[in-house]
Amino acid sequence: MLTAHEADCETTGTGSTNHRVIFVWVFLLLIALTGLSFWIANSHLMEHRVLAWAAMIAVSIAKAMLVVMFFMHLWWERAWKYVLTIPTLIMAILLVTLLVPDVALRTETYSRERQMDAAEAFISRAADGQ
Amino acid sequence: MTVPHSPIADPPNSTGHLVLTYEPAVPVSRGKLAVWLFLSTEIMFFTGLIGTYIVLRFGVPAGSWPAPATVGVVEWIGAVNTFVLICSSVTIVFAMEAAKSELPHRAKQWLLATFLLGSLFLGVKAYEYQSKFQHGIYPRSPRSLLYDRADLNYLAGLKAELDRLQGGNETSPPVKESANNVVANDVSLADNHRVASLGLPVALLAAAPTSIVESSTHADTLALIQTGLVQWTQQKVGRTDDPQMQKMALSSLAHQIYPLHENKSIETYLANERLESTAELEKSKIEFKQAEQALVDLQHQLEQLNTKLQSLQSTIAASGSTDPESANNLAETKQLQQELVDKTTASGIAAAQVTKLKDSIKPLTSRLEAMDKFGSLPAGVNLGLHLKLPMVIPSGNTWASTYFLLTGFHAIHVIGGLVAFLILLPKQLGANRAGLLENIGLYWHFVDIVWIFLFPLIYLF
Repeated sequence: MLTAHEADCETTGTGSTNHRVIFVWVFLLLIALTGLSFWIANSHLMEHRVLAWAAMIAVSIAKAMLVVMFFMHLWWERAWKYVLTIPTLIMAILLVTLLVPDVALRTETYSRERQMDAAEAFISRAADGQ
Repeated sequence: MTVPHSPIADPPNSTGHLVLTYEPAVPVSRGKLAVWLFLSTEIMFFTGLIGTYIVLRFGVPAGSWPAPATVGVVEWIGAVNTFVLICSSVTIVFAMEAAKSELPHRAKQWLLATFLLGSLFLGVKAYEYQSKFQHGIYPRSPRSLLYDRADLNYLAGLKAELDRLQGGNETSPPVKESANNVVANDVSLADNHRVASLGLPVALLAAAPTSIVESSTHADTLALIQTGLVQWTQQKVGRTDDPQMQKMALSSLAHQIYPLHENKSIETYLANERLESTAELEKSKIEFKQAEQALVDLQHQLEQLNTKLQSLQSTIAASGSTDPESANNLAETKQLQQELVDKTTASGIAAAQVTKLKDSIKPLTSRLEAMDKFGSLPAGVNLGLHLKLPMVIPSGNTWASTYFLLTGFHAIHVIGGLVAFLILLPKQLGANRAGLLENIGLYWHFVDIVWIFLFPLIYLF
């Protein structure tokens, strides 16, 4: 007979020393990935902004997955993890997507008059001859 | 509970009673399930916040989102904070592992390290907020003085704020509510007091060239900004119909108050304007001198005429009307009188010319003085002189709102985690508390994940 906590220990594994090695590796990977996104932001990739942004978000997702899988033990958890995480993610993504037509695309339908009062563009350094 | 909840009956124990076991629906402890359910709502909450930030950010008018440097965001400070949070994530899992292995003392050390790292994160955050406030970027509106574009609206706002700071003539636009008015007055008093108590020169010594410190007080500086920057721009805009020229004048004003970044076209424009103004001033000075000389000459001639007329009149009076010359003298008197009237008119016109030239010299000298004083401040008037005048940061208000909302909510979560650590720290952290440590750890890792997304979005994009 197992108590709930013991059941926990079983699912998360009791080989603590094993885990510690994994944790150190995850830690090092996280540091390296932070360095990677910092490097991307200061590299020539920023000339293709969308590409750089996509790369940085991909790095962030990778970091988040590392933390969720190992620090939060989801890697070792049983199937119940999907019951919680998948509906949550669907709701979260829907929430944001619903904002796109009204908020993200609002300037597309601005009238000329409205545009006159909207925030002006920064004078870009390229146009400035630098 | 007399009804067995499992169809497979447990074997009766020695007393003959049934022993029931609890079998959870999910194979985790209730505490852990609760934390995961809570984290599900948190995931939706932060995805909502971060997603809204992304949607707002990429939905602003094209090219108008401020670059990190424009709003005083320093990349490496964000990277350091990321590192700090990642370290704290590792220390909390080590704390849990130590507790599991019945090493309560070591668990406590790891937990303390986590607490200190979390506090360090908050300290860095506080420093960053402080630097935003120094830039004049606030999360709430009454003191937020950010304008979306350099236009006449901005010029009027700047002028009104300077009038208010100079503490006099109520030309500022009527404030909607009296409560607002009181707040505004308090703020201005506080600002004045602050400047007075700091002793402006002391505050300036580090940032500004010593010439400013020596030669002007706070009031003089404000007056010079009003005349040499604001009124000058107003006149410049009024004098031309070319929208491009007007835009350039307004943009250069905004640049002098708070430069967004190095801007060659504005620097060139200002340098040219300075040359033109200097030349114009020289010309005006020469014209002024000439006009003054002309006036002096005219006055001199007037005096001579007067004496001549007087002597003539006395001759006429002495010689009497029978004198054959008196007719001639009378004619000459009339002619002199006519000349006197002409010259008086001419000197009046010359005096008006002198005044006019004097008036045209005044804005030129204050413009050049302002350029001398404020041109040497690479960070602009606001940062260089510790002022909080209205400034132009396109989409700056949207930036400030989203920045403070996102990082603020994250910081509140960090504080929540620190409170949990504080409650747990004095306790004995053996294997019986490993589950509790794990649950708090889950929450803490989530806080770390949120920052993992905030770091590139706020600091690097």
